[in-house]
Amino acid sequence: MLIHIIKNEWRNLRADKTLWLVAGLFAVSVAYAMFNGLAWTNFQRQTIAEAAAEDSERYDALKKQIVEYERSAPEKLSRFSDPRDPAAAGRNIGQKYAAMSPAPLASLSIGQSDLLPYYFKISTRSQQTFTANDELENPTNLLAGRFDVAFVVIYLLPLLILVLSYNFLSGEREAGTLPMLLAQPISLRSVVLGKIALRFAVVTVLALGFHPLVFFLIGGGKLLTAEGALLGAVLWAAAIVAYIAFWFALAIAVNAFNWKSATNAIALAAVWLLFVILIPSLTGVLVTSVYPVPSRVEMIGAMRDASSDASARGSQILAKYTEDHPELVQGEYDPNDAAARTYAVQETVDREVQPILAIYDEQLQKQQNLANNLRFLSPAMVMQEALNDISGTGNARYRHFLAQVKIFHAEWQNYFIPRVFQKARVTAATYDAAPRFVWQEENSPAVARRVLFGLLGIIAFTLAAAAFGFSAIRRYSAIGG
Amino acid sequence: MLKAINLTKNYNGATALDDLNLNINAGEVFCLLGANGAGKTTTINLFLDFIAPDGGKALIKGFDVAEQPLETKKYLAYIPEQVNLYKNLSGLENLEYFSALAGQDRYTKEDLLGFFDEVGLRREAAENRVSTYSKGMRQKVGIAIALAKRAEALLLDEPTSGLDPKASNEFSELLKKLSGRGCAVLMATHDLFRAKESGTRVGIMRHGRLITELSTDEIGHADLERIYLENMRN
Amino acid sequence: MIYKIAHKEFIETLRDRRFFVAALIVGGLLLVSLALGWQHSRQIERQHEAAAEMTRKQWLSQGEKAPHSAAHYGVYAFKPQMPLAFVDRGVEAYTGVAVWLEAHKQNDFRYRSAADQTALARFGELTAATVLQILLPLLIILLAFNAFAGERESGTLRQVLSLGVSAKNLAFGKVLGLTGVLALLLVPAVLIGAVALMLNGDEAGEPFNAARFALLVIGYLLYLSVFVFVSLAVSARASSSRFALLVLLGFWITSCLIVPRAATDIARRIYPTASALEFAAQMENDIKNGTDGHNPSDKRLADLKNEAMQQYGVSRLEDLPVNFDGIALQAGEDFGNQVFDEHYGNLWNQFERQDKVRQLAAVLAPQLAASSLSRGLAGTDFAQHRDFAIAAENHRRLLIRTINEDTMKNARYGDTKYVASANLWEKVPEFQYAAPETAAILKKQSGGILVLFGWFVVSILLMIWATARMRV
Repeated sequence: MLIHIIKNEWRNLRADKTLWLVAGLFAVSVAYAMFNGLAWTNFQRQTIAEAAAEDSERYDALKKQIVEYERSAPEKLSRFSDPRDPAAAGRNIGQKYAAMSPAPLASLSIGQSDLLPYYFKISTRSQQTFTANDELENPTNLLAGRFDVAFVVIYLLPLLILVLSYNFLSGEREAGTLPMLLAQPISLRSVVLGKIALRFAVVTVLALGFHPLVFFLIGGGKLLTAEGALLGAVLWAAAIVAYIAFWFALAIAVNAFNWKSATNAIALAAVWLLFVILIPSLTGVLVTSVYPVPSRVEMIGAMRDASSDASARGSQILAKYTEDHPELVQGEYDPNDAAARTYAVQETVDREVQPILAIYDEQLQKQQNLANNLRFLSPAMVMQEALNDISGTGNARYRHFLAQVKIFHAEWQNYFIPRVFQKARVTAATYDAAPRFVWQEENSPAVARRVLFGLLGIIAFTLAAAAFGFSAIRRYSAIGG
Repeated sequence: MLKAINLTKNYNGATALDDLNLNINAGEVFCLLGANGAGKTTTINLFLDFIAPDGGKALIKGFDVAEQPLETKKYLAYIPEQVNLYKNLSGLENLEYFSALAGQDRYTKEDLLGFFDEVGLRREAAENRVSTYSKGMRQKVGIAIALAKRAEALLLDEPTSGLDPKASNEFSELLKKLSGRGCAVLMATHDLFRAKESGTRVGIMRHGRLITELSTDEIGHADLERIYLENMRN
Repeated sequence: MIYKIAHKEFIETLRDRRFFVAALIVGGLLLVSLALGWQHSRQIERQHEAAAEMTRKQWLSQGEKAPHSAAHYGVYAFKPQMPLAFVDRGVEAYTGVAVWLEAHKQNDFRYRSAADQTALARFGELTAATVLQILLPLLIILLAFNAFAGERESGTLRQVLSLGVSAKNLAFGKVLGLTGVLALLLVPAVLIGAVALMLNGDEAGEPFNAARFALLVIGYLLYLSVFVFVSLAVSARASSSRFALLVLLGFWITSCLIVPRAATDIARRIYPTASALEFAAQMENDIKNGTDGHNPSDKRLADLKNEAMQQYGVSRLEDLPVNFDGIALQAGEDFGNQVFDEHYGNLWNQFERQDKVRQLAAVLAPQLAASSLSRGLAGTDFAQHRDFAIAAENHRRLLIRTINEDTMKNARYGDTKYVASANLWEKVPEFQYAAPETAAILKKQSGGILVLFGWFVVSILLMIWATARMRV
């Protein structure tokens, strides 16, 4: 029975030219979005590759220079550019990149990756000297947001569903075919089921149909063999299917109200506006006002105060520092060693501003936690979080990156700073043995758990809307009124 | 075949149908007459389970409509004043769909075209979209659906209003053909002439009550009009 | 006649409870967003004023210090809040709030406030601009989609036209009625906005810029009336009110969602920019090897020495009446500045070209024209960020030059122990920024304004055309 309804629906949909137009536009949007996303991740990968190449070229040059200078040093050589000087090596000329390469599915959701840095040039300086460096981007572009698959899914996909189903019952009633239909021995629920099943299939194919293309053709099949990619692809598809189901359930619920088609369209557009635009931006306001992140402007002032204070007490601090770190000083220490003093002062400043900096991380973390809890207010927010998570372009993976950078930075400092105090000459071997940053991917089962937990929220919404719709539809009148 | 027992329906306190008792046997054509709002359409909607009764029962082939709506719909066909079909589909596709929903999904294309012949629709028209059909053609498709479904009861709600006399006449002929095959027909109409022509019995309704029942054999055209007007007056 | 029609439309709309509620919600959001924006704006303004004071104090209280070390210490320039930023925050969240002005280097702005927020910020901030650009057009569509189609379906359209009312009068009557309803939302918002602006002006010590505010109001009225006219045109021609609604929602989605994002990606493709890595490497390379690659820094230094000695007719640097270290430092700066001007100039020109593409794409999406104009008048677009960045950079150059000139005059050649006196720092004036004049902004926005005006004219003509050929 259902199959007849589905077949007939297909014939009806097929005959409707506007639907072809809408579906065509949607398919083009998905394809264009994929293309855009790929262009961006390629740009990122290329930048990271350039950074790595620059790293190794520079290291080769430095090692060559060492040999040269050992033979005959230039007469007027600044210690800031002497490759044999440990301070110069760790702080300036020997800096190394730490990069987070895009996750396998990064091209699907650009997320925060255009805003948050994805590589840092690590030095022995304080962390905030390099973590505040951003990718160059027109701020208007950042404001407008990108046309990626996540945008098409979160914003446009619901609209496609609404266009396909806002009048799936009311339209039949207005055209007068519903009484003819219900004079047959079938229940209204099977009619609803059949109609929605077909539309669900059409939308799912339109939304997911192009994805294999990305996975196999453009990625050269490499995407799916990457670690965690298959799981990501499955999660991605699951998230989209859940989101599609949610909007269809909503369409059923709205149609069950026995309203006119135009009223249904208004109601669904209003719900879309509420879930996709209003609730997210109001939640944004709420989150930032409950846990405001203090102005960075104040931080700048405080840090400068701390550093000029500390610089003024430079020699004193150095004396104290060498007392605290006897292992750094072999024999007697040189109270006029500017490089050593720099690090002693830097360490003091870092310690003093640590509580100020911690506030930013703390507040942001609190914001994130609140946002995570409040995301269940709107499936669009759940989807944004989930799609960014799956693509590895959300705040979670970025924090994961920052944590690794922090560890690597400490390693880097521990490698070079003692050499500064010991005035140990840097050799080619020192450069070779310098720490390297190796990106550790996020634990994908943990990501999967996070995503699935979010999807449960969407599923709950879906079930509630569908249950309401199917129970209210019992009272649906074939003859109107 | 079609039976109403003390059938009652109220809308917001106003009685639309009051204690209707009716029994239509196979082969009979029962015409319901009455002014607008007399309860004719309400009766038909009750037989279709489009509305729920406030009292009494509507039975089709012995099954209670309200309790077994899907079972009862296997036996009946419905032709409203305006047979609305899927306008982007052809007449043939519509026929195929509706008969499939009725459980008759084994028809070949030739079988279905046979029904078109039977109701007097040109075969060439069968492949055209319904949006190009005239009202008379659509009513004929309605009959074709009833034929294809092998309906045993037919519910007609002013099926000929707005048809030209020729189309109206053709429609009556088809109706006779169906009742001749043993179909029980309940037709609501304003057309006294058609009621006399094609009906076996007529019932006159007023304010939700069936006030007079006549057999068409016993009266002439003029009598029917006189009796109708008399009933409307008091 | 028109007035009668308008009056009927006005009353009818107000009596429709659904529309009344929708209008109430949108109006409420508009006022709330104005209040939030104002509060946010004031807070930032205060912070930045305090910070500017602090950075000045830090600069002045350096005491006796080696001048070049002070140049490395530098000062910070903080982006001031423009008086109208509370209406439209524009790109503020994405530009960074401060730039460090130090020796040798033109720095990028740092600390984009969007990076200190969750990803929710990417859904868009709730500002008055959002309500005016996104929500109000939607409300207009809901109010107007069945203006003709609905009357046609209920049969009143035939009756009205049978009375001899011309279609044009009917249309303008409806426009007027709708305007009345919208005025109920907009007039309070404009008044509150004006008061807030005056208060902001007091705070910032800037005079109330009535012209700028009026232009902003006019811009938004033009934009919103496009939606009024288009809605009525579609309603007059559509086969049903349902179809009219779908077409108008499609227009809204295209204008407010699809084209702005698509235009952004297309603009990036047509006018690509280098990665930060490449950008920095190119600048470094140019400074080291000269812009033409044949003028390395050591050769430049040697040339500079010869030139200085020739100028003063001496044969040893020690004999120069001025300190050569200062000359060398300043020459390094001057050369660097050329490089920065070229590279940042190219980058920013590219950004502005991207923004031009967006203005052009407004032909398809009036929202792009309105948002560009709104940001421009609010002082929160990229062009004005650039203007500030250039002002800050000029201040940096002035600061460094002042310091280097001190070294030139007062230090002896080769003396690395030289310290400047504590009153040198006062010779560097405090950084003051004057935002561009309204005329300059309008000139930058001329493309967008033209497109917006084009939309206005075309949509009126469209409405007149459509109502003249209205389906009855």
